[in-house]
Amino acid sequence: MPDPRCKQIFTTLSQYLDGDLPAKNCRDLERHLKDCKPCLAYLENLKTTIQACRNLRIAKIPRPSARVRKALIEAVRR
Amino acid sequence: MNAQVQQALEILKAGDPQALDRAIESLQGAVYALGMKVCGHPEDAEDTAQETLIRLARSLKNFLDARALAVWLYKVAKTQCLMSRRRSKFAPAQMLSLDALMPDHGAASPAAPKPWAITPEEVVLHRETRDRLEKAVLALPPPYRLVLILRDMEQLDTREVAEVMEISEDTVKMRLHRARVFVRNELGKYFSKKDHARP
Repeated sequence: MPDPRCKQIFTTLSQYLDGDLPAKNCRDLERHLKDCKPCLAYLENLKTTIQACRNLRIAKIPRPSARVRKALIEAVRR
Repeated sequence: MNAQVQQALEILKAGDPQALDRAIESLQGAVYALGMKVCGHPEDAEDTAQETLIRLARSLKNFLDARALAVWLYKVAKTQCLMSRRRSKFAPAQMLSLDALMPDHGAASPAAPKPWAITPEEVVLHRETRDRLEKAVLALPPPYRLVLILRDMEQLDTREVAEVMEISEDTVKMRLHRARVFVRNELGKYFSKKDHARP
């Protein structure tokens, strides 16, 4: 990533996606993205990654053991 | 906070007998899933769920509010995961350097990123890409892995992750960005081999 501007943008991508980047920095970043296809592609792929993480589910979940169930029911009744 | 966990804890605190079974199932699901994502092994995940929920039963009355209890629950689950029997399989707790994670992506470079021709839904629906994603998360050093899982998978906010991890919010943000970039780059290596990039 030879362009120092790309380097600077790279460090702020998560803040940008999380809405934590100050407005002025957002505008600068968006201006840069208009002219820099690799940065834009990197951001899009980062977004896909984050969304895929959010969508990840564990398929097989075992039922709670009798010990856990008993302990929690007793704790609620106490 | 993870809505499923908070709701289940509210039911336990209220002692609603009609909803109790559902709440216990829900907590088992949430803690087991966290264990699987952090440890990557069903037995470790089951131990994590068992130990965490037994400790929850002992401490239920010590907390007045469900949110504080949820933060405590995640702290206990996190510690249980890290203490799991297969902890030797954890990657060493090295630091991830942002410089090392930066792609060489000058517009003229053949290594310049291209948008992937795959949606987030497809990533988790296809077994192969889903495996890649899970492996990339498991390859993260634990301090980064935990932050990514808590923030991006369990939907805790930055302050809650900071409380669970006992680190500052700035450290959460720093680790989160590096963890996301690491996972994105691992998926990128796979997609470039599989030619999942758009022309």
